[in-house]
Amino acid sequence: MEAYMALLEINKVRKEYRKGDKTVTALNSVDLAIEKGEFLSIVGPSGSGKSTLLNIIGCLDTASSGSVLYNGRELGGLTERQLSDYRRDNIAFIFQSYNLIPVLTVQENVELPLVIERRFSKKQMAEKALAMLTAVGLDGMADRLPRELSGGQEQRVAIARALVKNPLVVLADEPTANLDSKTAEDIISIMQRMNSERRTTFVFSTHDKRMEQHAKRIVTLKDGAIEKDERR
Amino acid sequence: MDMILKIALRNIGRHKRRTFLSAVTIAAGLIVFILIDSTLTGIDRMSIDNMITLSSGALKIQTVTYDKEKNTFPLNYGMGEELSKVRAALALDKRVLHATRRTQFLGQLSNYDETIPVVGTVVDEAADTMVFGLKPYITGSYFGPDNGREILIGRQLAQDLGVGVGDNITLYALTKYDSRNADQFRIAGLLNTADPTINHSGVFITYTAANEFLDLENTVSELDVSTKRNSNLGVFSHDVKEIQATLQHQFPSLRVNTFLDLGAGVLELTRAKRVAGIIFMAVILVIAVVGIFNTVFMSVYERIREIGVLRAHGLKPRDITFMFVLEGFITGLFGSALGIMVGSLANMYLVVTGIPMEKMVGKIATASYGISGNIYGEWNLPAMGIAFCLGMLVATVAGIIPARRASKIQVTQALRFA
Repeated sequence: MEAYMALLEINKVRKEYRKGDKTVTALNSVDLAIEKGEFLSIVGPSGSGKSTLLNIIGCLDTASSGSVLYNGRELGGLTERQLSDYRRDNIAFIFQSYNLIPVLTVQENVELPLVIERRFSKKQMAEKALAMLTAVGLDGMADRLPRELSGGQEQRVAIARALVKNPLVVLADEPTANLDSKTAEDIISIMQRMNSERRTTFVFSTHDKRMEQHAKRIVTLKDGAIEKDERR
Repeated sequence: MDMILKIALRNIGRHKRRTFLSAVTIAAGLIVFILIDSTLTGIDRMSIDNMITLSSGALKIQTVTYDKEKNTFPLNYGMGEELSKVRAALALDKRVLHATRRTQFLGQLSNYDETIPVVGTVVDEAADTMVFGLKPYITGSYFGPDNGREILIGRQLAQDLGVGVGDNITLYALTKYDSRNADQFRIAGLLNTADPTINHSGVFITYTAANEFLDLENTVSELDVSTKRNSNLGVFSHDVKEIQATLQHQFPSLRVNTFLDLGAGVLELTRAKRVAGIIFMAVILVIAVVGIFNTVFMSVYERIREIGVLRAHGLKPRDITFMFVLEGFITGLFGSALGIMVGSLANMYLVVTGIPMEKMVGKIATASYGISGNIYGEWNLPAMGIAFCLGMLVATVAGIIPARRASKIQVTQALRFA
């Protein structure tokens, strides 16, 4: 019988920052196991450590102590270059303020992770990007620049960019925070669809009650520690 | 690579004014360098041409004894029977065009009211024009068939003595046997050359006149040689040095000097001018470095979030460095190309029309550099090539520091950057 192994495992993770003369504890001995295909929401008040936890899961930041395992592999000792490769191959990000590259067209923005991966031909990359744009409802907008899009459209592009390389994990930091209700609903439903169709794992931090309602699991953080972990 | 190039190019295009200003700074450096180099090369060539045409020839051959005593212009250390042997040796070298004999002496020129010391040159009136180019500078005429009483003198000398073409003037000198002699000569022509020594104190008479006036007995103190010219000074110098080495080996009792030996002072001045030109360009390029550094630094600052996004997607720090260095390089490429284009157009004017330097700064100032009339520029393609590469190199290097800084930004900090 095969031993159970979570896709992502966080053990006793602690993160401290220096702020002037003071040391601030952003995460305090956090344990969390995330399985493939989860649609997990991290909630909590501002300063509770949501973004820090996402950054550590995504290897954008390192823990002061504790361990982060991806498919059983410890990520703590990886070099900057290995971390870049890890992010490139496994993780995708959706940001609150979309963060599209302003000088690239919509299609080029979506192709970006594939270009960084260097696994596909130009034609293949274009096909994947256009298919992804269709999937997020942005048909016919491939040649536009980010400045020509609405906020909702920009976030759709960001989702397409995150999903185009078919990552195992998508980390989203407040993905609906800057969107109106209708657009936020659209974005949530796209993410849900991708989660159910592709079994992509979504981990997102949010203050948005609408997003919380759709999550299959809600982890509540308070003062850098997990206060509640509910499954639905 | 494609994407990095695309991002770099589009960011350059996004900030057209900033990019243009940085490129213009580099272009200005190159334009100044091209024009200074062209002018200096033109001045150098003119100085060297004038030196060869008016006084040194390509090669000057004298006896070793004469060479040692040449400051006193002795008349009794002539070349003797070696003269014909040297002429025979020169005839065998296809690079040699012509050779002419000359003998120099010290004297005084007098209008009875005033007496001025002069340096006299005895010339072979027919052969001299094949090696030296005095004729174009003459007002009046060159030596005629009856030249036993004719003299050419510097125009300034004529002015100082208040005489002109057709006037008679008295020349005093010691003969070969150290007896003092004086004779009257008719001024056939006045010399107004780029060589101030000739203009102020030069007199020329023929061997026919000197044999009588100086008891010269055809004594030849120097044999001056002209050789085939090459537009490339380096190749020309190399040829002349080769001929020098061959002759020196064949005739150890003679001293063979090239125009390079004789014009060491002029050439030293040339080197100093060139260093000044390089320093000037360096100063402008330093300004360009600051401009490019600032441009790339601003670009990094404005795009910190973008750097964060690219890093989050797995782009490596070295790719980020490369992207910004590329922006510096492209700006440098644009600036260098602009500099070469505008510099070449401006240089074309210098080469074709020239600068009326004599009119601008006066004849005395230009004569001290051995030049006269308009100063023409010269095309110096290797120097332009070096300047072009240097412009790009400077821009690339200037981009490295901000680019490396960009690559070291913490991803989380970059993403939080507002």
